[in-house]
Formats: sequence, C-alpha cells, structure tokens
Amino acid sequence: MQIEFTVNGKMYNLTVSPTLRLIDLLREELGLTGTKEGCGEGECGSCTVIINGKAVNSCLVLASQIRGQEILTIEALETDGLDKLQESFIKNSAVQCGFCTPGMLMSAKALLMKNPTPSEEEIKTAIAGNLCRCTGYNKIVQAIKEAAE
Amino acid sequence: MDKDYKYVGRTFPIHDAEQKVNGSLQYLSDMSLPNMLYAKLLLSPIAHAHITNIDTSKAEALPGVVRVFTHLNTPAKTYSRYRIVPDQEFCLEDERLLTEKARFVGDRIAVVVAVSKEIATRAIDLIQVDYAELRVLNTPEKALEEQADKIHSAGNLLHEFEYKIGEIDFAENCVEVETLTNTQKVHHAAMEPHVCLADYDSSGKLTLWAACQGVFGVRTVVADLLELSYNKVRVIKVPMGGSFGGRQEIIFEPLTAFLAKEVKRPVKLTLTREETIISTMTRPATSSRVRTLVNQDGRLVDCRVDTVLDAGAYATSSIDNTYVMAKKICKLYRIPYYEHRGKTVYTNTPVAGGARGWGAPEIMTALEIHMDAVAKGLGIDLIEFRLLNLIHPYDLDKTSEISLGNARVRECLLKGAETFSWSEKFHRWNIAPNQGRFRRGVGLACAAHKNGMYGGFPEHSTMTLKMNEDGSFILNTGLHELGCGTITSITQIVAEVLDIDPKFITTLEADTENGPYDFGSYGSRVTYICGACAYEVSQRVREKVLECASQIFHTPIESLENGAGRVWVRGDEQHSLSYREIATTAKLKYNTDIVLTHTYHGTSNPGAYAVHFAEVEVDTATGRVQVKDYLAAHDIGKAINPGMVEGQIQGAVQMGIGYALYEEIKVKTDGSILSRSLKNYHVLNAPDMSEVRILLIEEGGDKGPYGAKSIGEIAFVPVAAAVVNAVNNALGTSLSNLPLTPEKIIAALNARRDVSGMRYE
Repeated sequence: MQIEFTVNGKMYNLTVSPTLRLIDLLREELGLTGTKEGCGEGECGSCTVIINGKAVNSCLVLASQIRGQEILTIEALETDGLDKLQESFIKNSAVQCGFCTPGMLMSAKALLMKNPTPSEEEIKTAIAGNLCRCTGYNKIVQAIKEAAE
Repeated sequence: MDKDYKYVGRTFPIHDAEQKVNGSLQYLSDMSLPNMLYAKLLLSPIAHAHITNIDTSKAEALPGVVRVFTHLNTPAKTYSRYRIVPDQEFCLEDERLLTEKARFVGDRIAVVVAVSKEIATRAIDLIQVDYAELRVLNTPEKALEEQADKIHSAGNLLHEFEYKIGEIDFAENCVEVETLTNTQKVHHAAMEPHVCLADYDSSGKLTLWAACQGVFGVRTVVADLLELSYNKVRVIKVPMGGSFGGRQEIIFEPLTAFLAKEVKRPVKLTLTREETIISTMTRPATSSRVRTLVNQDGRLVDCRVDTVLDAGAYATSSIDNTYVMAKKICKLYRIPYYEHRGKTVYTNTPVAGGARGWGAPEIMTALEIHMDAVAKGLGIDLIEFRLLNLIHPYDLDKTSEISLGNARVRECLLKGAETFSWSEKFHRWNIAPNQGRFRRGVGLACAAHKNGMYGGFPEHSTMTLKMNEDGSFILNTGLHELGCGTITSITQIVAEVLDIDPKFITTLEADTENGPYDFGSYGSRVTYICGACAYEVSQRVREKVLECASQIFHTPIESLENGAGRVWVRGDEQHSLSYREIATTAKLKYNTDIVLTHTYHGTSNPGAYAVHFAEVEVDTATGRVQVKDYLAAHDIGKAINPGMVEGQIQGAVQMGIGYALYEEIKVKTDGSILSRSLKNYHVLNAPDMSEVRILLIEEGGDKGPYGAKSIGEIAFVPVAAAVVNAVNNALGTSLSNLPLTPEKIIAALNARRDVSGMRYE
C-alpha cells in the first residue's frame, strides 16, 4: 500500500506491506537505527518515537497507520547542537549501555513539549514505559529535571 | 589518599555518550553486511523428549530459504560454552550446536538460513518434529530421584563437593540457628536481545562481531569446535546494550559461525525477547540451608552450609558457580569452623550461568537473612551482632589464605547506619511496629565479593600504549565496554599518569586479531586488574617520554618535571617541550618509537565490601512492597569515576529489588515457561524505583589503580537480603523464599494470624 508521511521533517511517499511495523520501516527502510528494539511488544520502550507530539512505541504501530502523520525519531533531537535533554543526560551520567537512551529521550522530549516544567512524579510517569537495566533511573530522572529547569 | 588528582576521582560521561544520545552508535543489532543472510531458530516446545523424526523438506522448499540444519547435518561434537582458555577445568562438554534430544523448553532443535527474517521465520513453522516425551524433571529434587531419567548420560548430579576448614569448637551453651533460603532463576534483562553476526571469507577466515564479555573465550570455543586454527578466527567486540553476565558465555556464536562457514556468506542471528529469556542463560536457582552455632557472647563458632544449585539443562559454568558460593562467607565473617557442601544438578529448565555477582548474591542473600534470624533469636542488636563477627582489615580469607586487604566493611556498617538514621528508623518501625494496613520496616545486609580471579584462576592482562607523532596516545587493550564506563575509567587512569587531557587518549576495545590478550570482563577484575595494567603501562611510557626529553634537554631524567602534556627542566618551566615535540623529535632525531606492551600479573585479591540499608512499606491488604528509602555504603578503595560508580550502584539496586520482590523465570511442572516476555516478567520501572543514596568509603590501601576496588558486582550482592530483611522486620515474618511476591506475603500474614488466633481486618 501507498502511504505519505513525514519523518524528522522530511516527506516520504512509499509503498509498504500492510504488515510492516513502523519500527521496521524506520530501521530497515529509512536506515534510522537510533530507534531500538528491546522486546517487540510495547513493554520496554526502547523503540519510542514521537508521533504528532505523543510518545509511542513504534513496535506496536503498523506503517499503514502513520498515513499523514508527523514522526520524530532520536535522529531529529539534535538540531543546532545537542538538545538540552541530550546534554543533561551526558552531564548527569544518565547514559550507560545506552540502548534504552533514545527511547528514554523521546519520552522525555514528548513530556517537555507538553509540559515544560514537570514535577518529579510527572517525569517518572512519563518514562514509566521505558525500562532501563543499567542506571536504576535515578540519574535519568535527575537529567530530565535539570533539562526542564 | 589526599592527593588531588586531575582526572581520577572526577566524573566523566561514558566515552560514547554523545553517540548514544543522538542514536548514531551502531550496536550489533544495528549492523548489517553486504550479501548477509538471516538465521532463525526452532526452539523446543517440549522440556524433555527424544527427537524421533525431523522433516525439514517443506522448509527447504520455501523460496528464499538457503539451508536448514538440524542435529542430523551438524557436527555431533560437544563443547562447553563456558570455556575461556583451552584445557580449562570444570568445563563440561555437554552441548552441541543443535541437539539430538530436547532437554528444556528452549533447547535448539533446528535453524533456518534465509534471505530475509520473514522467510526464515515462516520456514521455521514448516519444520515438522516428532518427540517421544520423557518425564520432566523441573526441580533438583525430582532430578535426583533414583529412578529419574538421565538428562545427560552421566546422570543428573553434575558435581558435588564438601569443604571443611578450621577447627571444630565444642563450646558449651551455644545457640544453634538454621535457616533455608531459596533464590530463583532470573533473566538478566539486558535491554538489547542477543544477536550474533559472523562471516567466513574467501581466504578461509572466520570473523565474528560479538556483543560479548570475552572475545578470546569466543575464539577458543568457536575455533576448537570448527577445527580452525586461532589465527583464522577473528572476534571483534562491538557495542552492546547491556550484559550483566548474560553475555559472558559463548551461547550462539558457535552456531552462527558454523552457519557462515557452511553458506560462505555473512549470517546474522537476532533473538526476540522471548527467545532471549528462555534460550540464553539465567541466574541459577539455589537453595542454601545455613546452620550456625553462636556462643553466649554472640560470636559465631561454627557455620555449616548445604547448597543445591539448579544448573538447568546444560552444565555451562554451574559447577564453578556452586563452588564459588562456598568461597564468600569467610570473606565477610570470622568463623572458627566452616563447612560447605554443594551439589550442582541438571534439570529440564532454562540453562543457568554467569550472572552479576556470580554466586555471591545467592549465598549472601541466604547468609544475611540467616544473620538477622540469629540476632533476633539471641536478642542481640542486628548491627552489634554483625560487628562482633565481621572480618577486620588485613584478615586472611580463610578459604584461600589470601589477605582480604584494607577491608572496610565495618566502616560501611557504622557510617552507613548513621547516614541512614538506622537507629531512629529501627526504633520507629521495628520496635513499635505500625499495626495498620501499611507497615514499614528497615533492613540491612552486609556483603563481600572479590577483585579479580587471583587465587582461583590465572590472572593477568596485557596492554599496548603508543604515543602518536603529535603527542596523543592510543591504548590497545582486550577490554569490553558493557555500559559500565570501563573505557572511560581506564582512559582516566592513563590520563592521570601521563598528565594529559583524556581527549588525547583513545582506548581501544578487544579484537583477537589486532589487540592484546585479556581474559574478559567478568569476575570483578576490570578496574582492579586491567586498571592496574593501564596504570603500569602508562608509567613505563611516561618513563620513556622522559628519557627522550632528557636526551633533547641533555639533562638527567631526575631533573625533569612534567605536567599538562609538557616536560621541562625543574626551575625552567618556560622552556618546556610539548608531548608533540618530544614524540616527533624522538622519531626524527633519535630514531625512537615510543610504544610499550606490558603484561600485568595480579598478585592479590582483596575483598570488595558493601552494606545496604532499605526501608520498605508493605501493604498488608495486597502484599505489595514499596522501597521508600535506600542507602548503599561501599568500600571501594577509590572511585575512579564517581558518577559512573553511582550509576553502577543505583542500577544494581534496581536489579536487586526485582530479585527480592518480583523477578522470576517461572517454570511449570511440565517444563513450560510462564515468564516468556516482559509482560509477565516484571522489571522495575521508574515509578517503582526508590532513590538510592550512596556513601563511598575511599581508603585505598590495595593494589588497584589509585587504590580502586571493584563495584559493579558487589553493588548487587546485598540488595535482596536488605530488602527481604526489611520486609520481615516490618511484618514480623521470616520469609526467605524469593521473590517475596504479594501472594507469598499474604500467605505468610495469614499463617501468622492462624497461629496467633488473631483476625486481621
């Protein structure tokens, strides 16, 4: 099927299989491998992207569902240099193995786009769907808090 | 320890942080090669069965399928996934590429190689396997029954040992306490599922890009199995999404390498989360009965432990894992007589193996739950009782006769208790417990681990440090970055010795072809052993730089000083030479290359220590436990990179709370696995997670670089016991069967009510 959509500000018009998942479209068709697959069932959040301002697990979305939608991936977070969130993750040692980091950043970004001054509870809720096995979340929460300040 | 260092002791981000935050870092799962094929596994749905027939004809006929393999067309040769070095002891060769008999749900039955993942997956469904089912032995008890079927031909008892040390004291009036603690199989849950990528080129060379903890171990297993000489197998460490011991052993590399060699094209095997949970490795399930005699003064007189470890369907590292459980207790407490019997048993369950802490979390959980029970039985304060028995600095490790070094566990306990406000909390919650629905309690646990493998295994590491013509440096190593910040801390050590900005140092990871030898990243050996190697090779290169400078200045070395990447004659800093000038002059004028290779040999193995304190709140209506406050006190010697050290500890606490309360790979009596995905395997998320306060005791005194000791494994060791003890203190229970799920907590509360005859509303 033919679909038109935008990824990171760039328009695409592609023919895709109706069973293709968004994560595969991003990683395999568009080469955007910053979006990671950790579970394939929406439990770990490693594949989080932003669709029309909302953080979404791209493994649970079919490519056919993104017709006309605007998608942001981790590759778009850096514009004129690193985003404040990215800088804050680095500064706060919130990055270890880094596999959850893109998804974590996209969930945090979606939060800050809607709510520029979230409380600690709101931050934790926003990343509740993003699992991290390295950091224990303390430094991630701190990094998001600092980026919001 | 007061010296103000420029780079050591300061927080730096992990070396590839920028690539990680912008998504540009290529993990193994992101890599692909031209002409690459995809492999997909058929895993056994049956826990114990003979395979009577396999029909692959339909799968082979599917367009796009290149080859299909089963035990019928792969080598029957067996190997051990645990082997690092050829001829290593206790590496039972009981596994083959594809099995002729199903030994657990998840055993490798067949593999398809195809032009796409989709076709490979479709082909798997077309393979017809007939099984003749056998009785499923899903617990060590069943496997050890006399009439039980043999999972492997040698029988189900893999190994047993008895270990006795010290003098039996027939002291009178001792109190005897016995506890039984069960720990469960858990999933490492590294965020990146397992992936393998191999290529076999036209020159007959096999290359593996490996997300692993030890490239040389991978080479040993793969080359020996495929009968290739080691120079024809190249293993390159590539970025990985976490490990925690789950990538120590050589699980899928042999099969992927075999496939690439057969089809003579690159082959990639990517596991799903479900496949990673059931068919890679788990933390072993253990059962430890601890019995101690304590005299009237509260001192331990005698400690006897019986451990049974469930190895799962293949031996892998389980014999060593059981054995090391007997080597931990005497690192923590002074015990006149110590006895430990261990049994390692095959079962029809997922394969156990290396997992963060390697036996220490299992035995320390049992020990520290026991110590609380003893103190309560004697009516002695929990901290007092431990202080009476904890080891002292420079005590000998009774089991190895090696010094425990500057062991500061007592400070961890005392300072940690003070920082945590233990007494206040203990009296508030534990002495006068709240009788309402939500009950709070505090618990603590001490823990000991090690620094490297000295005393039990060879221990050395080799590195090459070269100075470039512009005065920058390249350190070639056999290191593996697992996400802990290894590369950064090693670079900080080199920078400190050479007094140069770390940005002018590149530290390379392991590559069997282009790099020096190292055993790998496990055994809490990286900072202590590899870090010491980095320190010594940097010292030697610094001497060489000064030798060159002394030639240039026509001055003896003793009169030279250096700092900030420059060298000068004492008192004449104005006329200093930059490292660039020295390196270039060395080449042009003195025909000298500044490069050195150094092998460091470990000659010590001090203890690494921690004491953790947890405050929990238990909802007695639902059985849910929430950790409300947490403090981790660590005897680390010296924190090279404090920010990353804190991250290691906080991450370990996340994992440990899960171990105590939620995480379990549940196997039913028929061997089927209930926890097959992250939907029903609960990994703590951000709202579940407590803040973790950290107290570092940095007293140095041992042979690690700048006095540093290990952190990544020890940080996990006391967590479960601290949390379980807190729950028991909150409820007045004696739970010791992990994980403390809501069902178990409710059952314990009900049992207590039945005993006391009181009703709870």
